[in-house]
Amino acid sequence: MHIHALIILASLIGINSATPTQEEEYHESLTLRPLRDGKVATHFAFTTLIRGAVPRAPHSLADDDVSQHYTLFPLALGQILREYAITELHLNLNAGQWDYDRWGQPGEPAVGSGAELWVWMGDGAPTSVDARWKGTQNALAGLFCTSLGGMDAQRTTSPTRAFPPAGNLPRLSAPHTHRLRHASLPAESVCTENLTPFLKLLPCPVQAGVAALLNPHRLFDADWHGLGIDVRWIAGKGVELRMTVQAVFDPVRMSSEGKRDWTLRSLFGRVIPRACPVASSSRITVDLPADGGFVLLPDPSEIYPTSVAFNLARGMEELDISMHWSQEVRFSYPLDLTSTPISAISVDRTLKGASQTHGDLALVLRNNLHTPQRVLYLETLPWYIELYLHTLSVECGHSRPYELFGNLTYTPPVPHGSPTLLQAELILPPHERVRVAARFRKSFLRYTEHPPDAQRGWDLPPAVLVPEQGARARVYTRAVLVDLATPDFSMPYNVIIMTCTLAALVFGFVFNMLTRKFVVVYVGEKKEGDARALERVERSPSKEM
Amino acid sequence: MSAGRWTLLYIVAARLLLALSLIGESLKEDHQLASPLNAYPRLREGTYLFNHGISPYSGGTFRHSPLFLPFFSWLPDSPYLNASLWTLVDCISAWALVSIWNARSGGVRSRGVLLASMYLINPYLFLPSLATSTASFDNALLLLAIKFACERRTPPCLFSLAFASQLSLPSILLLPPILLLLLSDAKSHLASPKSFSTSYSAVAPVVLEFFAYFATLTGAATIATGGWSWAANTWGAGLILPDLTPNPGLWWYFFTEMFDHFRPFFLMVFSMHLLIYVAPVCIKFQHDPLYATFILVGLIAMFKPYPTLADAGLFLTMFTLFPETYRYLRYPIVTALLHLHAFLLLPLFHHLWVGAGTGNANFFYASSLVFGVANGGAILDAIWAGLRIAVGEVGEDYAVMQE
Amino acid sequence: MDQEQPPEIKHKHISSLYFQQPSVRRSILIASWIVILLGVPLWWFTTAIERLPLPSTARLAFWSTDKLEARAGGRDGYTVEVVHGLDHPVVKSRHLSVPVHEAVARLPDLLLPLVYPYAAGYRRGGLEHLVAQYAPRYKLAFTLLNEDAAAGKAITGWDIHRSIQRHISPVLHRVSALHNFTIESQVHFHSPLAFEPVLANFEDGPIYGLTQDDLKVFVNSAEWSLASQVSNDPVLHFIVFVPSPSHTPLRILDNNNNLTTANAFILPQWGGIVVTNQPSDAPASHSFSADDLDGVFATFRKQLLILLGVSELPLEYELADTLISDWQLDTLYRRRATENIASSRETLESIVKLVDQIPNMPVGEDVNGDFQVALAALEDVAFTLYSFAAYHACSDSPELTLQNSARAVTHASRAFFSPGMLALLYFPPEHTYAVYTPLFFPLMGPLVATALREFAAWRKEGKQRPTNAGDEQKVKID
Repeated sequence: MHIHALIILASLIGINSATPTQEEEYHESLTLRPLRDGKVATHFAFTTLIRGAVPRAPHSLADDDVSQHYTLFPLALGQILREYAITELHLNLNAGQWDYDRWGQPGEPAVGSGAELWVWMGDGAPTSVDARWKGTQNALAGLFCTSLGGMDAQRTTSPTRAFPPAGNLPRLSAPHTHRLRHASLPAESVCTENLTPFLKLLPCPVQAGVAALLNPHRLFDADWHGLGIDVRWIAGKGVELRMTVQAVFDPVRMSSEGKRDWTLRSLFGRVIPRACPVASSSRITVDLPADGGFVLLPDPSEIYPTSVAFNLARGMEELDISMHWSQEVRFSYPLDLTSTPISAISVDRTLKGASQTHGDLALVLRNNLHTPQRVLYLETLPWYIELYLHTLSVECGHSRPYELFGNLTYTPPVPHGSPTLLQAELILPPHERVRVAARFRKSFLRYTEHPPDAQRGWDLPPAVLVPEQGARARVYTRAVLVDLATPDFSMPYNVIIMTCTLAALVFGFVFNMLTRKFVVVYVGEKKEGDARALERVERSPSKEM
Repeated sequence: MSAGRWTLLYIVAARLLLALSLIGESLKEDHQLASPLNAYPRLREGTYLFNHGISPYSGGTFRHSPLFLPFFSWLPDSPYLNASLWTLVDCISAWALVSIWNARSGGVRSRGVLLASMYLINPYLFLPSLATSTASFDNALLLLAIKFACERRTPPCLFSLAFASQLSLPSILLLPPILLLLLSDAKSHLASPKSFSTSYSAVAPVVLEFFAYFATLTGAATIATGGWSWAANTWGAGLILPDLTPNPGLWWYFFTEMFDHFRPFFLMVFSMHLLIYVAPVCIKFQHDPLYATFILVGLIAMFKPYPTLADAGLFLTMFTLFPETYRYLRYPIVTALLHLHAFLLLPLFHHLWVGAGTGNANFFYASSLVFGVANGGAILDAIWAGLRIAVGEVGEDYAVMQE
Repeated sequence: MDQEQPPEIKHKHISSLYFQQPSVRRSILIASWIVILLGVPLWWFTTAIERLPLPSTARLAFWSTDKLEARAGGRDGYTVEVVHGLDHPVVKSRHLSVPVHEAVARLPDLLLPLVYPYAAGYRRGGLEHLVAQYAPRYKLAFTLLNEDAAAGKAITGWDIHRSIQRHISPVLHRVSALHNFTIESQVHFHSPLAFEPVLANFEDGPIYGLTQDDLKVFVNSAEWSLASQVSNDPVLHFIVFVPSPSHTPLRILDNNNNLTTANAFILPQWGGIVVTNQPSDAPASHSFSADDLDGVFATFRKQLLILLGVSELPLEYELADTLISDWQLDTLYRRRATENIASSRETLESIVKLVDQIPNMPVGEDVNGDFQVALAALEDVAFTLYSFAAYHACSDSPELTLQNSARAVTHASRAFFSPGMLALLYFPPEHTYAVYTPLFFPLMGPLVATALREFAAWRKEGKQRPTNAGDEQKVKID
């Protein structure tokens, strides 16, 4: 009896009480990397860590959640993660095409243009993984004012080889496992109405800390810009949220004299007014360009061989960093950039063919290293592009195809259902160009399936190449536009009328011919003034008999 | 050999040479010659997936019957081999056509050569064969079934018909007239109609035998692919129309532009529409079941879900079996010109729509309507002529009409 | 086929043609009609809109909720005791102890606030409009807003967990029969005001004042993100606002712009706000302990009670219970039950009217199921009110009524807002005719005409056959 009372009492306390406040840490950092072509690549990272937190177990979705108390971690995002029992979440909204040859590897690997969302969720909940996937999309679409509703079953795949979990996955009771859902919308744009809710999730948005530099007027004017949210669980540490903003600015375009000097004010239109009071660390790193001749002001806090760092201390005044090349009158664009690529792999994907019935998909890969590389090639094609797998060919200068290509996983597309998923391993010989080509067939869509701007075409999501070093070094290709044949949209009733008329006419004539009787009719001239000249010769059978 | 035989040999050789010259390579997926159920690249894709352990029916590309899989996975993908195989299939069809004629006419041999050459040079049949579309196989099996029925050899006839139905489901609607043909004879009775007299006890075993062959082939197909998913992809494609690739028929544009709410209803209506012709035609032409088969071949060619030019080609070639009807055709020139018109417009407008981009889908739709009118005209004329023979000659001052 | 053959001989020939016989014609006609008739059930099957019948709500019109108001609750009812030596009324559970000197004169006045506090004329200050709409689940969102943490004197955290346990959890337990609650909290470090508070000089020095108009626009929804939007439950917000050093001290002014002592206010049906000014010697950043938050959460508790609709006892009453007496709970149950019943009746009647007005609207199983559950719940309430056996019901009758009414209102609004009810709203019947006519009108023409003709011929034959019975049949009709 006592024990029962104690248990009931403990559970009553447990139901209404929250878990004890977990320790939260917030770090912010900004990396500025001047590039060889005069541009500056910037990378903001805002990391919040909840120590000791564990993602919600899927089977607990049947009961109410415990109270959630957050200090630095954003409540809106935390509630979404718990509502759908998400273990790992990655959302990226990018605009532009990242040029790997000129700019190298980005700070955050997910630079495919448009919106990309992938989550790892455990099954075993009362609702299915797909229902929770849909709920996650809708919740994130509402939170970030972006339309992710197009990520339905026709664009969702599960490429587990190319997108392994970035953190750890908690163990689930057998036979439940974690499932991956990945979808990509290459046509989505990113703009101020996505940045504003993004900034609201940060503890110190506009007025303090590194986030004060995020000026939408300048950010969305950059040559390439993107927002990213990554949530993962690290066993032994806790739940980590990483919010990133990346942008590639062009000081040469901004300056009136064509110089590549930059300051924080010239890039962002703002300076850092003061430090964020709740950040455990707030750090600006500037990568030093290989060719010297520049002057960096003010003096940094830490100096390393290839970079310097500024630590923002509490109570500091404004900070504006500037780098200028005093010897240069005008920036001269180096002309040998593409012949000396700084990325490990160069890749280009194109569609060939002018017809609206067929086309060819061509992927050209170049290995820029001295050693052979093994990459995983992931291709997701929507169902209206039906790949002819038997036409897939790989060729390289001298190697035989079967040596280059192996371990292929292929999920054929289901019309009006699910997309094609192709994952294959390619071996790239050093300093060689490998060509992968395949023929595909374009489908003909129903009248109701075409979007309002049907003549624009349909986007193919970027292909992803994952090298051996892991998913953090992955490379995205271009998103290409494919042109499908359209019916005439003004025609539904016309078509119904014309086709039905033809069918009804044929049926009518056939039926009449089969059911009517032949008669022989006298059509000659009147003979002898006969009144019965045009009389019907055949009388009805009833009289006849 | 007689001159006729040499002519035939030259024609076959010319066909073979044309096929071996590989000009058909660009026609492989031409929408007039190959439908989603017939196209050769899809067949190769299916066998490739099958050979690599992926179910070919898990996607929507492969819609051929599983009975093709064992043979074509063994056959290497060589265009020369394909050219020879398809020429051989066409020769078999021509031979079957000649045998039908012999059974019908009692062996007027000279006409047999004409028939065979008609079949071999008819562009509606030659082009799909150049394009290695499996419609040639469908035609061959149908002609073999009719041939065996004319010769009253029941097991081969029913087996061929069952095989043809496996490859193309609407062919099963030819069972009633072929049944009548088996139980009577192929000679021309168009001029003297009488009722079809037989006892039911003769009919039932034949029907059962057909369904036994059909079930066996279905079972073989299921075992070959290890599941039932093939039925939804092959037969289901004609009932649900998941693939809206343009073809010379009437279904594709209708269902491209159809509202979703009415789609299942109209799919049902169009399928029933095919069904509604079978009984009336068989009842009216019960005195000459070969003619009934001929009419139904034409109706199916016009109204089936995924027709190609080969189906209409078979109907037009079978006209040559019935020379007694020629004098009673009312407008053969019109029909021939309409067919020529359609034959020229269909590829032109198709290219303008999807190749050059200067036309739109309505152009091709209009040309498919012209093709439909041409087919309809030919069928109506055939029915009229087949019935009109029975009335016979009337005097100059008299005309025969229907009331 | 001789041209000179007289036409008479051809009569025989044509009429004797086998396929001209009526039997052939009729069997063709019947075969065609069989296929058509086979298609009719399939037509119905493929185009029918699912419209399950909704049960009748006529029964609901016959009973009213007045009886609900009049019922007394409790197993033993309520007791009033006159006690010597008391100078003010004491309320405990369902028992009122009245002092002697007020027993005779003011007993009805003393009982009114306990039994029917919603009577017109009683409510002081008119607090009815503050009460939030009923929902079976509420989300309580506690937010600590620093106007500008970077300017100094920031609050970096708070012991929310213990404060909730001390002040809020007892209330939640007490009203657990009415609502379930989920709690969430967050801290914001930069929450600017959308306006500039007026600077006024009072005896204590410069004060930043919030006028009554400012209070209406205090919550800056554009820049403050206050509650998570994941679920559909209504949210009650509780905000602790810490002004920045440039706006300290921030006080509330009354209608005449005089200083008030209040530091908290309620936004109707939304939540409550407490303004906490930091003393000038506060450190640059510290976090609130549970003791620091005692005053704040006591205010929150009062605000929560008002928002939940718990009636207030007049000041002279002493509450010997914890927090809420059973009198107040009973009146709250009755109040909420009445609201729910009225709302669910209205919703159910609207659904029926809508479904009748729009013939193309599908009524799926989920809508039908929810409708029936709501109707059954309302009938349970009616049973509880009207059946004599239940008149002397057990003590949880008001709770039972409330739970039934909650179920009714939840299911009724779920049925009303079901997304499936909008599918075919824009497919007018003219379009349906336009789609069916081109095929069936010409198709039916020959079929119907031939059928009528054959029917007439058959009837005529039937009349003539008795007269021609003796004639010799020249042609056999098979």
